Amino acid sequence: MAESAAAPHPPHRVGRRRTLTSEETIEKRREDQTDLLGRRAVELSRFYGGKIETVPKVPVRSMHDFSLWYSPGVAQVSRAIHADPDLVFELTGRWNTVAIATDGTRVLGLGDVGPAAALPVMEGKALLFKFLGGVDAIPIPIRASSPAEFMNTVEGISPAFGGINLEDIASPKCFAILEELTKRLEIPVWHDDQLGTAAATVAGLINALTLTRRSVKETRTVLLGAGAANLVTARILITLGHDPHRLTLVDQKGVLHAERDDVDELSVRNPWKYRLALKTNGGGRTGDFAHAIEGADVLIAASTPIPGTVRPDHVRAMNRDPVVFALANPVPEIWPDVARAAGAAIVATGRSDFPNQVNNSLIFPAVFRGVLDARARSISDEVVIAAARELAKAAERKGMNAHHILPTMEEPEVFPEVAAAVADATVRLGVARKKLSHDEFLERARTIMARPSRLVRTLARAHLTAPMPRGSIGRRRAT
Amino acid sequence: MTPDETGSHASSASGADGGTPPIHLRPAVVADIPALIPLLLRLKRLNEEFDPLLKVRDDAEEQSRTVFRAQIADPKAVVLAAEGVGADKNKVVGFVRALVRERPFYTPEFEGVILDIYLLPLYRRRGVGEYLLREVSVALKAKGAGVVTAEFPAQNEIAGRFYAKRGFRPITSIHARSL
Repeated sequence: MAESAAAPHPPHRVGRRRTLTSEETIEKRREDQTDLLGRRAVELSRFYGGKIETVPKVPVRSMHDFSLWYSPGVAQVSRAIHADPDLVFELTGRWNTVAIATDGTRVLGLGDVGPAAALPVMEGKALLFKFLGGVDAIPIPIRASSPAEFMNTVEGISPAFGGINLEDIASPKCFAILEELTKRLEIPVWHDDQLGTAAATVAGLINALTLTRRSVKETRTVLLGAGAANLVTARILITLGHDPHRLTLVDQKGVLHAERDDVDELSVRNPWKYRLALKTNGGGRTGDFAHAIEGADVLIAASTPIPGTVRPDHVRAMNRDPVVFALANPVPEIWPDVARAAGAAIVATGRSDFPNQVNNSLIFPAVFRGVLDARARSISDEVVIAAARELAKAAERKGMNAHHILPTMEEPEVFPEVAAAVADATVRLGVARKKLSHDEFLERARTIMARPSRLVRTLARAHLTAPMPRGSIGRRRAT
Repeated sequence: MTPDETGSHASSASGADGGTPPIHLRPAVVADIPALIPLLLRLKRLNEEFDPLLKVRDDAEEQSRTVFRAQIADPKAVVLAAEGVGADKNKVVGFVRALVRERPFYTPEFEGVILDIYLLPLYRRRGVGEYLLREVSVALKAKGAGVVTAEFPAQNEIAGRFYAKRGFRPITSIHARSL
C-alpha cells in the first residue's frame, strides 16, 4: 500500500516558515524511519552479537556419541568420500550449504566498504537463505586485491559447498567473475544483482505483457540504466524471444548503439555491454532517453534513485497502456501514482510499500533450494527463465491484475513451487546429479522450507533465542 | 577474464565466412578525409584505454586532417577506405593506413608498416579485417615492401591475437617511461 494512502499526520514543519509539500513530507518521514531502523539495527546487532550461529543437527546423548560424530568413527566416513567423492553430498552437510562470497566492493547503496563492513549484510543474507529457503549459508567476505585472487579463493573453499552465492561485487567485474567461476566450478554459482533481479523483473514482465495483451516478440522495450541488472535482463529477454532490434538500452550517455563514441572503450572495459550495443536498438535510434522512449511499450528503469529521472511526459510519449517498471532503490525513478496518472497501465517498483514489488528475495531462496535438491552442476539462463516463469504463474494462479503481477513475500507457498520448477529445469538441461520427479522435488522443497520458521519459533519459545529487547529507540517509539 | 573477439585496435575479423566481405575497399581520396577523421580518432581513443602514454592530444583532430592529407598524396603511403554496402553504401565504415619505411641495416630493405586498421563495430567479426589486411599487404608489396609489420598498443591483446593468427610475430618491442 502506498504510504500516502495512510497519512493522517499533519505536514512536518521546517523552521517556522515553509511547510513541506506532501511529497517532501513522505520523503522526510521515510528518511526518519530509515534512520530509526538503522539505529535499532545497530543496537540489536550488538545485543545478539550478529545474526546467525551454527547449531548441531544430530543428537548428542553423551560424550560417547562423539566417537560417532568425530574420531574414531568419522574416519570411515572420510574413507568412503575419498573412495567416491560424490558421497560428500550424502554424508556431509555439503548438499545444503552455500557460501555467500563477497569482496565488499559494492555493498547495498554504500559502495566499496570492504569485506569486513560487508559482513553484517552477508549475515542478513544468510538469515534470509535459511528462513526462506532452508539453506545453510555461510558468510564469506574475502579480502582480495584482484578478481583473480577472489576467484582463486572461492575455488579453494568450494569443496565445502553445494553452491556459491556471489554478493555485492562491483559491475562489470561481477560479470567476468560469475562467468569464470561458473566455468571452473562443478557447483552452481549465482549472482543476485545479475540473475536474481533479472529473474524477478522478467517474471513481472511476463504477466504485465499478458495483462496488456502483448507478445514478447512484438514488444518494444526500453531499458534505462545499463548496470548489472539491466544488462542481464536484456540478455534474458532476448533468450525469452524478445526481438533484440526492439530493445533499446539507455544510460547516462544516452542510447546505447553500435556507433556510440565510447563503444570501442566498452569493447575493452565491458564486453557484456558492448555485445548488447551491437545487437540491440534495431531502429538505429540515437540521442537521449526522451527520444528512445517514444512509442515504447515497456520501460524497465534500473538507474538512479531519484524521482523525476522518468517524467510524466516520458510515460505519455509511450505506446498505449504502457508498462513501467521503476526499480531504483530506495526511491523509484518515478512515483507509481505519478506514472499511473500519466497513463501507465501497470507500474512496478522495488519497494514493498507499493503494489508489484520486483524483489529478488522471491527468487534466490527458491533457486538455491531447487539447484541444491537436484545437486545441479551449474545455473544457466534457462534455469533463470524457469524460475521467472514459475513465479509469474504463481501470481497468475492467485488471480493476477494490474496491482498483482507478482507474488508477495506473504505468499510462502510460492517458494517450493519455484524451487521445484528450477530443479526440473536442471534435470531437463542435464546438469542435475539427482533426478527426482516434479512432485518429489516439490515435496522435498516444502518439507525443508517449512522447517526454519518452526525452528526459529521453537528456539524463541524455549528462551534459547533471547526475546527482542525493547531498547531505548523502541521505547521512545512506543506511544 | 578476457573478452572474446570484441574488436578493437585492428578489426578482429575472425569470423570469416568465406563469402564476399560486406564492404567495398578502395584507395582513399581527399574527399574522404571528413569521414576518416572520426574513425581515426575512435581508434586513437581506444589506444588511450590501454596506456596513459597514449593519451590523445587536444589537437588530434587537426593533426589527423594534416596526416591524411599528406599520406593520401604520398606515394610511400597506403590509405584505403572501406565503404559499406546496402544501407551503408557510400558510407566509410573503416580504413587502413600504412606506409613503406626503409630499413638501413636489415633485409628486406623495405618494410610495410600498418599504422591503423579500424572498422566500425558492426563490420567486425565478418572477415572484413582479414580482407583489409590482405589488401593492404598487396598494396605495400607493390610499393616494394618485403616484410609487413603492424604497430599497436602492447596491452591490446585482441590485436595481438588478430595478427598472431595470421602469421605475425613480435620482432621489436618499444618500451617507454615518462620523463
